[in-house]
Amino acid sequence: MNKLRIGLLTIVLAMTWVLTGCQEEKTPAASGTASAAAASPAAAAGEPVYGGTVTYAYDQPFQGVLEPALFSDNGDNLILNMISEPMFATGDDLKTYPDLATWTESDDHLTFTFKIKEGVKWHNGDELTAEDWKFALETIANKDSDSPRWDNVSMIAGAESYRNKEAADISGIRIIDPHTIAITVTEAAPNILGTLWAYPMPQKYYAGIEPGQLAAAAQVRTSPIGLGPFKVKKVQTGEYVELTRNDDYWKGKPYLDGVVFKTIDGSLATSLLGNGEVDVMTLPNSQYKDAQKLGNVELIEQNSLSYNYIGFKMGKWDAAGEQNVMNNPKFADKRLRQAMAYAIDRVKLIDAFYNGLGTPIAVPMPEVSWAKIPDEQIDMYGYNPDKARQLLDEAGYKDVDGDGFREDASGRKLTIGYDAMSGSEIDEPMAQAMLQFWQDIGLNVKLNGGALKEFDAFYTAVEADDPSVELFSAAWGLGSDPDPTGLWRSNDEWNYPRWVNPESDRLIAEGTSAKAMDEQYRKQIYYDWQKLVNDELPMIFLYTPVDVTAKSKRLQGVHTNAFTNQVDMDKWWVIPS
Amino acid sequence: MLVYTIRRMLGMIPLLMLISIVVFALAKLMPGDALTGRIDPKNASPQYIAEMREKLGYNKPLVWQYGHWIKGVARGDLGQSVVHKKPVGEIIAERLPNTLLLMGLSLFITYAAAIVMGVYAGKRPGSPADYAITVLNYIGYAVPGFVASIAAIYLFSFKLGWVPASGSVGIGLDDGSLSYYVSKIKYAILPALVLGLFSTAAYTQFLRNEMIDNGRKDYVRTARAKGTKPSRIDRVHIFRNSLLPLITFLGFDIGALLGGAVVIETIFTYPGIGQLVVQSVNSRDYSVLMALTMLLSCMTLVGNLAADLIYSLVDPRIRIQ
Repeated sequence: MNKLRIGLLTIVLAMTWVLTGCQEEKTPAASGTASAAAASPAAAAGEPVYGGTVTYAYDQPFQGVLEPALFSDNGDNLILNMISEPMFATGDDLKTYPDLATWTESDDHLTFTFKIKEGVKWHNGDELTAEDWKFALETIANKDSDSPRWDNVSMIAGAESYRNKEAADISGIRIIDPHTIAITVTEAAPNILGTLWAYPMPQKYYAGIEPGQLAAAAQVRTSPIGLGPFKVKKVQTGEYVELTRNDDYWKGKPYLDGVVFKTIDGSLATSLLGNGEVDVMTLPNSQYKDAQKLGNVELIEQNSLSYNYIGFKMGKWDAAGEQNVMNNPKFADKRLRQAMAYAIDRVKLIDAFYNGLGTPIAVPMPEVSWAKIPDEQIDMYGYNPDKARQLLDEAGYKDVDGDGFREDASGRKLTIGYDAMSGSEIDEPMAQAMLQFWQDIGLNVKLNGGALKEFDAFYTAVEADDPSVELFSAAWGLGSDPDPTGLWRSNDEWNYPRWVNPESDRLIAEGTSAKAMDEQYRKQIYYDWQKLVNDELPMIFLYTPVDVTAKSKRLQGVHTNAFTNQVDMDKWWVIPS
Repeated sequence: MLVYTIRRMLGMIPLLMLISIVVFALAKLMPGDALTGRIDPKNASPQYIAEMREKLGYNKPLVWQYGHWIKGVARGDLGQSVVHKKPVGEIIAERLPNTLLLMGLSLFITYAAAIVMGVYAGKRPGSPADYAITVLNYIGYAVPGFVASIAAIYLFSFKLGWVPASGSVGIGLDDGSLSYYVSKIKYAILPALVLGLFSTAAYTQFLRNEMIDNGRKDYVRTARAKGTKPSRIDRVHIFRNSLLPLITFLGFDIGALLGGAVVIETIFTYPGIGQLVVQSVNSRDYSVLMALTMLLSCMTLVGNLAADLIYSLVDPRIRIQ
């Protein structure tokens, strides 16, 4: 059956995906993959018309926690994208743009004053005010709400003492008038708006609900409201959500009469698209070839905001000291790590196992990000087994006993354990292919424990730095902001390779410093950091998966970007049949 | 009879206690928990996960966790789902009617089809119709549920377009209206058919053989000798006696259907208890998983009791004292 979570928890940016304005940029074609029709066909199909209902399908169940501050499941996120609207939004280029609010920044970069658009109505008719946003920020900061978004409000001055119930209010939030709000943060940083929570909550509608009860309340589960282009008409738990047009949508009346969000079994995706029961969905990659044969469906490819990697376990997490300790000598030699990267033919792997739906990468930065270093300035680690062998020879990894496998620099037998997750039918052959690549350059790499691990067993072992885990194949989601904090610093618990590098720590800190307010400077810092990571290679960066959005040809106005295919859904329309 | 029932029910209590320990142990033995792998730097943080683990009591000793859970269950509080973020009782209540409808419909189809085919074949042993039915039965017997599901969806939903492929109810209908219930049945027919396939095959064959057996019994010969009308012999002497053992299967069916529902509901994206079991296992949603396993165990135990009781009701030779 479909695995609920696949390696990475689906990327859910804290910010919304609604593209501001109506930029009609073309989707950047996924390099290294078949060129698919990404251009907007709207012009060819004529003028938009009102009416029609489309079915948006998803191949996993949704939980129905329909409040942006509380959900954790990607299905809920997809529903919320249709009904909610943020103060400011992330554009295709991963930068932040005004949406419901515009803002000014104080000279010390500590206070943001937001002007919220007047006359915007919640789905129940209440007007949006600054109180609604303040209420959202306070609810998230309240420990009882169990909201996973604390990191999106923790930078506000006074949030910490509010959380610890030492203050009745968050001192950094000041309402100036019903549509103006000033938010003061504790420390200036260039990426505040990339992190600050942007979704207001309908305060009046949620009145009287304890924060701890909110997630289970009917106002969230069965009759949620928002500010977005579509209103929830009916939630059929675990099955579908019926949405109707919000005539009062502040950007104008949406074209579609409604949208049905429906959970389907992934194995039926192509058939359901083919017979028209589903109009649009993110296609399971395994069905790419089948879906290409459908005459009524268009496939849009797009690099996703995530990447797959193979990590080297280089140390341990010291829980008491809350820092990583790089104490495992096995992969200490950079040349060994680099050689193992050169040994892998990533293009071949992507073609063989992912229908070509992947783009090789060499740094952990989204392809579309402004901070991504150009490929020419780094080593892409293209397939080069000769260079791999040469590096190993130089580092002293030689086969001294003639068994066909290299010994380590001091002449001792070298075996390396490899861990990967099981779940789909390609995982096993894919792992075998990896082992083969390394064996080809003389490294004796074997599956740790002789088998793949199930998702939870895998992460339990990787997180605990189980001594048997040496090489591990996993994936990460990427955020819209290039800041690597959270995964790469020496005191980040999720720095699974346990890579400790003072220069990296320094650059990461510098990237969010006051000086980095200058974008050029910040960009240079991240270029330097990417060069460092690219050279030190604490993990082998494999590829960024390419997401395929399959959409019916009758559906027009669909625009996709790196993190969503639900951009400006008010502009979606269908060709009348 | 009443005393027997009460005695059996009392006997279930220690059994359920034992089951609860096994269920709890199995749930906790699974690697990871509901928060493992919730590792999205944009959506959670190590601190959040650590706080939630503490709050959920995952760091407490297992004995404490078991005690805490069983105390809640005894009070009728099944706990809170970590994944669904609402009380477990509510989640199950939402989905149980779907599974009950599916099971009810499946039983109906099973018994109706088995009786029609079994009687037809049993009256004409060795005929081409008998062989045809036998062949069908063995196919039904041999094909696994998940293969049958995919084949049925392909044929009836995609090729013929008679019934929907997934879901439990149509879109845009008002709860409680007639068309709503008609739609519910329409959506349940195909999964119910597949769910009952194995039993249908088994019962048809069973009934056929019983019919042939009973037709050769002395009392049937006596009846014929007396000059009883052949149609009456078929109906009363043979059919009714052949049906008796079949009825007793009803109780055991409950367990079998619940097991089958796990697979069938997942493939048909039918939001019932079975699908919930699979989802809860995958997401390590302990409270839901443990409640469901307990529920399924109870239903199986009650089903077995029902089977025994029905047997004693319909067969005067076995009167329970």
